Amino acid sequence: MILVEIIEGPLWYIAAAVFVLGALWRIIGILRLGRRTDLSVPRSAALPGALKALFRHMLPHYGFFNRTKLHVFAGYLFHLGLFAVLFFAAPHITFLEKRVLGFGWEAMPRWAFIVAAQAAFAGLILLWFRRIADPTMRQISDADDHIGSWLTFIAMLTGCLALQESNVSLRALHMLAVEVWLIYFPFSRLMHAFTFVLSRGYTGIVYGRRGITP
Amino acid sequence: MRLVGCILLLAAALAGALVANLPSPLAVSPATAADHVPGEALGTESDSDLWRRVRQGESFTLSDPRLGAGVLVQSEGEEWRSIRNGPVSWYGGILVLVGLGATVLFALLRGQVKIEGGRSGRRIPRFTMAERSIHWFVAAVFILLAGSGLIILFGRYVILPVIGPTAFGAVASAAMQGHNLFGPLFIFGILAMLAVYAVDNIFQAADAKWIIKGGSLFGAHAPSWKYNFGEKTYFWLVVFTGLVLSATGILMEFPTLTETLQYLQLANILHGIAAVLVIALAVGHIYLGSIGVEGALEGMTAGTVDENWAREHHDLWAEDVLREIAEREKTGAGIRAPGAAE
Repeated sequence: MILVEIIEGPLWYIAAAVFVLGALWRIIGILRLGRRTDLSVPRSAALPGALKALFRHMLPHYGFFNRTKLHVFAGYLFHLGLFAVLFFAAPHITFLEKRVLGFGWEAMPRWAFIVAAQAAFAGLILLWFRRIADPTMRQISDADDHIGSWLTFIAMLTGCLALQESNVSLRALHMLAVEVWLIYFPFSRLMHAFTFVLSRGYTGIVYGRRGITP
Repeated sequence: MRLVGCILLLAAALAGALVANLPSPLAVSPATAADHVPGEALGTESDSDLWRRVRQGESFTLSDPRLGAGVLVQSEGEEWRSIRNGPVSWYGGILVLVGLGATVLFALLRGQVKIEGGRSGRRIPRFTMAERSIHWFVAAVFILLAGSGLIILFGRYVILPVIGPTAFGAVASAAMQGHNLFGPLFIFGILAMLAVYAVDNIFQAADAKWIIKGGSLFGAHAPSWKYNFGEKTYFWLVVFTGLVLSATGILMEFPTLTETLQYLQLANILHGIAAVLVIALAVGHIYLGSIGVEGALEGMTAGTVDENWAREHHDLWAEDVLREIAEREKTGAGIRAPGAAE
């Protein structure tokens, strides 16, 4: 019981603090890098270029679609499923309301929660397979990618195993997995959840000034 | 004498009064007269008769239909329980152990099936990215389902005595939730597998020769197309049991689909039988597809196999593929890079 209290008490606050401070540190670090001064006369505005890049890169270039359809399909399946489960599952909203934000919002129905979780799992399995089976992906993947994938999988799995919400130890196991994930997050490529905006924005700004749609 | 006479008279009067107050065996009690009230010991039927009728699953008319079904004890449930916890668990457990034992025995007797001609160094494409994605998707979900399913079916005999009831309660709850969650993914996987793999798994004339030779597992190599007779049989057994598992699983996950409880009980029994059968088969498949046959796993990981492996295990298919490669080279059509994304 003491272990459960530690997991749900001090360890949660430590993990949350590491996540918030670590992520801020990384983002501020990237922002402080700034960008090189571009002395050329801008042909177009930078900001619209950044916004364009941000949204247009959500779909692959039509010339590459056939080669990346599995990646696109699995990627959206996983990310949308995870997003829905993370922010619209009733137990998560209750937790965020009571422990973090002080306010809640409408939860999705249980059937939608189950479908979203299944989509997330299906997407994650397909992405994991692509990472190990595609020769290029295999070459560019390192331990960080695999650790990030597995920690995400374990956090999701333990959450689903605790779905009955009848066992304290299962809930604590899920929280422990999430805490490990939160601590690992800022120091890994899981940060792409935040940094994709910066990287796409940067590309968009650079090319936007040149009048090119990236 | 007078005293004795007085006492007898008094006793007779008391006895008369007592008898007069006793209900007659033929009389109907006020409570049961209006309706048959259950549990009235002195009513028209005894408690034991009443509870026997309840136990045998007789339907009663309830005073308020909102109370639920008129059947108070679903007696067939006991039969289901005794079958599920009896023969299904017992013979199912034996079947899984037989599958495991047969695989170990085969591994000990035959050892790894080597590429006799050694590796040629030339690779030929065997499985596309789509085929491999579906295979590994089904494999991953199957492992999660088989693990949780085995806990649900055998946990009370194997895990409970070791970790105790409290911890087992958590394990069983987790297994059930995981099983229910991953089940629908398996349905998608098995249907996708059927769509992608079925064509090459249709039985062909060459399969008869493979059967006569006893396959290539006992020494001599037998002719085979992309899949040999054993692989095709395994595929169709997996599809058949997979569809049974899917249909019965849907019934159990959505019990309101049927109002007849017996269908759910039958579904549960069939689910258990199909599950232990496919798990027992999968043990052999996993062994042969990984370490049992040299070079086999590469087809499912990299998408390509060594040419000598292909010629030894799937000669008819290998000739076909090599002919196609030669024609493409001749026409300059090009060959898809092994493992390239679809």
